[in-house]
Amino acid sequence: MAPPAQSQKSSSPSQPSGKGEVSDVKMQLRQLAGSRAPGTDDSKRELFKKVISYMTIGIDVSAVFSEMVMCSATSDIVLKKMCYLYVGNYAKNNPDLALLTINFLQRDCKDEDPMIRGLALRSLCSLRVANLVEYLVGPLGNGLKDGNSYVRMVASIGVLKLYHISASTCMDADFPAMLKHLMLNDKDAQVVANCLTSLQEIWGLEASTSEEAAREREMLLSKAVIYYFLNRIKEFSEWAQCIVLELVAKYVPSDSNEIFDVMNLLEDRLQHANGAVVLATIKVFLQLTLSMTDVHQQVYERIKSPLLTLVSSGSPEQSYAVLSHLHLLVMRAPFIFSSDYKHFYCQYNEPFYVKKLKLEMLTAVANESNTYDIVTELCEYAANVDIPMARESIRAVGKIALQQYDVNAIVDRLLQFLEMEKEHVTAETLVLVKDLLRKYPQWSHDCIAVVGNISSKNVQEPKAKAALIWMLGEYAQDMQDAPYILESLIENWDEEHSAEVRLHLLTAIMKCFLRRPPETQKALGAALAAGLADFHQDVHDRALFYYRLLKYDVSVAERVVNPPKQAVSVFADTQSSEVKDRIFDEFNSLSVVYQKPSYMFTDKEHRGPFAFSEELGNLSIDTDLANDVVPAQRVEENDKDLLLSTSEKEENHGSINNSSAYDAPSYDGSRMVGALQPQQDLVSLDQPPPANTPASLAMDDLFGLGLPVAPSPTPPPLALKLNAKAVLDPNSFQQKWRQLPVAASQEISLNPQGVSALSSPQVLLRHMQGHSIQCIASGGQAPNFKFFFFAQKEDEPSTYLVECVINSAACKAQLKIKADDQSTTQAFSTLFQSVLSEFGLP
Amino acid sequence: MAGAASALFLLDIKGRVLVWRDYRGDVSAVQAERFFTKLIEKEGDPETQDPVVHDNGITYMFIQHSNVYLMTASRQNCNAASLLLFLHRLVDVFKHYFEELEEESLRDNFVVVYELLDEMMDFGYPQYTEAKILSEFIKTDAYRMEVSQRPPMAVTNAVSWRSEGIRYKKNEVFLDVVESVNILVNSNGQIIRSDVVGALKMRTYLSGMPECKLGLNDRVLLEAQGRTTKGKAIDLDDIKFHQCVRLARFENDRTISFIPPDGSFDLMTYRLSTQVKPLIWVEAQVERHSRSRIEFMVKARSQFKERSTATNVEIELPVPSDATNTNIRTSMGSASYAPENDALIWKIKSFPGGKEYMLRAEFRLPSITSEESAPERKAPIRMKFEIPYFTVSGIQVRYLKIIEKSGYQALPWVRYITMAGEYELRLI
Repeated sequence: MAPPAQSQKSSSPSQPSGKGEVSDVKMQLRQLAGSRAPGTDDSKRELFKKVISYMTIGIDVSAVFSEMVMCSATSDIVLKKMCYLYVGNYAKNNPDLALLTINFLQRDCKDEDPMIRGLALRSLCSLRVANLVEYLVGPLGNGLKDGNSYVRMVASIGVLKLYHISASTCMDADFPAMLKHLMLNDKDAQVVANCLTSLQEIWGLEASTSEEAAREREMLLSKAVIYYFLNRIKEFSEWAQCIVLELVAKYVPSDSNEIFDVMNLLEDRLQHANGAVVLATIKVFLQLTLSMTDVHQQVYERIKSPLLTLVSSGSPEQSYAVLSHLHLLVMRAPFIFSSDYKHFYCQYNEPFYVKKLKLEMLTAVANESNTYDIVTELCEYAANVDIPMARESIRAVGKIALQQYDVNAIVDRLLQFLEMEKEHVTAETLVLVKDLLRKYPQWSHDCIAVVGNISSKNVQEPKAKAALIWMLGEYAQDMQDAPYILESLIENWDEEHSAEVRLHLLTAIMKCFLRRPPETQKALGAALAAGLADFHQDVHDRALFYYRLLKYDVSVAERVVNPPKQAVSVFADTQSSEVKDRIFDEFNSLSVVYQKPSYMFTDKEHRGPFAFSEELGNLSIDTDLANDVVPAQRVEENDKDLLLSTSEKEENHGSINNSSAYDAPSYDGSRMVGALQPQQDLVSLDQPPPANTPASLAMDDLFGLGLPVAPSPTPPPLALKLNAKAVLDPNSFQQKWRQLPVAASQEISLNPQGVSALSSPQVLLRHMQGHSIQCIASGGQAPNFKFFFFAQKEDEPSTYLVECVINSAACKAQLKIKADDQSTTQAFSTLFQSVLSEFGLP
Repeated sequence: MAGAASALFLLDIKGRVLVWRDYRGDVSAVQAERFFTKLIEKEGDPETQDPVVHDNGITYMFIQHSNVYLMTASRQNCNAASLLLFLHRLVDVFKHYFEELEEESLRDNFVVVYELLDEMMDFGYPQYTEAKILSEFIKTDAYRMEVSQRPPMAVTNAVSWRSEGIRYKKNEVFLDVVESVNILVNSNGQIIRSDVVGALKMRTYLSGMPECKLGLNDRVLLEAQGRTTKGKAIDLDDIKFHQCVRLARFENDRTISFIPPDGSFDLMTYRLSTQVKPLIWVEAQVERHSRSRIEFMVKARSQFKERSTATNVEIELPVPSDATNTNIRTSMGSASYAPENDALIWKIKSFPGGKEYMLRAEFRLPSITSEESAPERKAPIRMKFEIPYFTVSGIQVRYLKIIEKSGYQALPWVRYITMAGEYELRLI
């Protein structure tokens, strides 16, 4: 039916061609519009098809809008569908014309055929024209009450569409309340599911501005609603089940019995043929049991087999999605798949993206018992299959080597790779050997012997070349002809295109020079000269830096370039545990595939129900302004620091009394090109800069080394005994809280283990309960939690009240303590802090 | 919760939009097309061929089917597994409607395609994806649609996969038990991985709302019933059922009971990760003579019982890409050189159990090889075969009962077959 010429035309939309055809069609439509002759519908259908096909291939046919509307008076459903499609496509850009369609759409919304009612309503809601929303409210309201479930199903999503066109209209018409009623009462599961979908989106977006919406959203997570959905779960379509399960995953059961009930009810979902349902169920299981360590482990055992089946059956795309999730799980619980490693062996025909993930899995599950098998398999890939695969396999072997204690055999394997004399294999292996040597310097002897035999001519890839050069510099002592190899590389300076390689070359020749000066001096001179003339800024700067350094004092140069090195014990993990937890919270979404939390790849307005951070404002408003004040102060301090350090620099500068103007490029971004500005910083190297100590302390803190974990160096003996069975009803708590003054207010740091264990408020509650500190209210979601605790003295009815706001991202907790007996506040505060700091420790 | 898709695209092999449906109005076709054509241009680079790609705030997920790409675009953090699966469902539905899903069939039926896209997804959320249900209200032949359309009963009742009022003259059920054997053997001849993936494939032609019950020789069930199980019962790992099976019932008493959808569907899949003896074993000796000639000596041996016979056996042996002048002899079947796959394909129509066949082949190689030749891709020996009336797991259908309130007698037909799945021997 499509016109034959279409494939030649560019199909990009808004292509302004085909004018002739359009006016043709327009004429014909006009003739048909008023006709009532038999067979009119057939000719209309042909014409409509033509119009739609033009539209599909991107010819602008908006010119026939009014004719299309005129012809829309028909009882033929296919004609109607095509007409709706056409209108939906052009209404947005032609709002005036869209007004023409309202009439017939509204009429169709009252048709006796439910199919037509539904379709018309769907099209009406899809018009996306803001000034037409008033015409939407009536039909939508009727649609939600329609006797036919198809119409209700369309209407329940229609409300969401209306919300996106005009949120206020949707809220004013009170549609969310109607949806809620439908959701809890409709017989048809798909209507219920669509209501849930719409409500989640609407309330999720409203929650940041309206407290009522926030409350309603909480309502979705109430026990009654969750149980209602769970009881009907089998009625839902597979897709709707995913949505329901996603909701259940956020539910916080009150006790462990409830957790087991939910899991028993959902157990059979793990056998569902739809992988998405299985993953959603797994998410529920994992989230529910987060606080119950042993059960959590059992869950891992239980979900193993369904996951492995999903990997090996179904489409490669499904394997890809599932493997991404497996990778996340294995990072959290490395043991679960360690005996099933063979499931991750690659098949010859699998697409590369699946193989790559499988290699990552193999790397992640490797442990003492299976490393041999895994590495053997990986070596097979390295030698046999295509180049990208070979590279990935070698990288995988390297990663395993870096994480194992017994690397003896692996190093041998890697060295064998070097002897294979395939360029890509050599290149990858060199990079790995370099990393290995940084971790295991004791292997240098064996490695260097082999590396020394590699001709630098066979290594072309910048990364590999850089690695080789690094080794030449670092082990210049042990490699007989290191100076000469470097020298020949320097001779070809101009042919070296990679700046990275040239930078490494400079450093290597420096190192070599410091160890074997007579052999290297000439090459060093040549290298520095070439470096100074280099057009690349960094290379130029480094050459200059070395030059001055050598001129100033060779022993200083030695200390700078060639300090004694410590073996790297752990290579920096690129992701913080907070980020990883965040990803885990977003299990079964793109976050897992990208290995990034959603805020890193979605625009703010599209984050939707995932974003928690915005609403946290609500939580802290009633606290006090401390939250807002503290960072501000910090910023100020930082500013001062900055000022201080710059002024120090100025002073330095002044004292050296150099006549040429000092221009600090990193401070104002300007740069003096060509002029040899003196670098005072160099000079101060031999005296440790005074700012260093606080800075390094701050660094320690950043890395969570837990300096301030024990708040007071000498904790007084815990004389304070608390009543393990303290009771306080919420009302009296509130009353007391209002009456009592703040006895102590404090910000403390938490230890990182504690923070990472704080996946949900419940975990902490249990911990505190164990120390006779009860919780009366809690709330919030990562990274901000808020708790109200209370405790009573063992032998007298003296109560302590605590407000505790924890920011898990910053590892900080803000405490406000109120007490009946002010004199013991300090003792209680100390006790509370020590209990809190124990949280998460094994 | 699962985010929604913004739009759905059907693209041709060059990445041009054939048909697209805009659900949320926040991704344009121009944008998507520009992204996707760029992606396709990089085809040679395997690093860029992931099915989920992020570009400029938009996540694209796509699958390929013959010469068509199906792709969703989304700005939200959506559920990757679910959307990818949805795309596969889309393929199933299109195939149901147009027999084959390819560029031509989409072009010829774009009106139906639009109708389907409208019903299967609303505002980016998947709705009904059962072809059988959809075909109740979207008819392929537009001209036969004079009868007024009602939304199908199934949309409104609890059994969403079957509509009421189905009639057949002859009521029949076909049940195929299909097991595929995956095996991986390394160059030392050791089996490094083996498993069996089984499926119970059903085709039902039954009237009304039939209630079916299936009995298997499942060890747990038989033991629960107090029967002796020696030798006959099997352990099934990780069973997955079609949504029609009452899972709660299975959990309780291991009965598989269900109201089947009309037509064909996979009732159940399972996996066995027991060590499987390779059903057909291949040994190959390769001799290279003086760089110009290469000789293969291949032995294939069937290692199953004599009363079974493997059919349509196809053994694919990798050969160097520059081989010429073949000279092949076989003791059974026929072999041919397939230069497009760099392989020698040996076909044996019928291969009874306990037999051994031979193949000898000789190839000429060019005596001069280019210096820059790409490193050899060493492929494994791969195999296809089918063994009817045989299952590796020993699974047996003990009964298949069909009860319908009209009381008709239905005929169940059960068939067993074992096939080679991913069957790879890295022997050369």
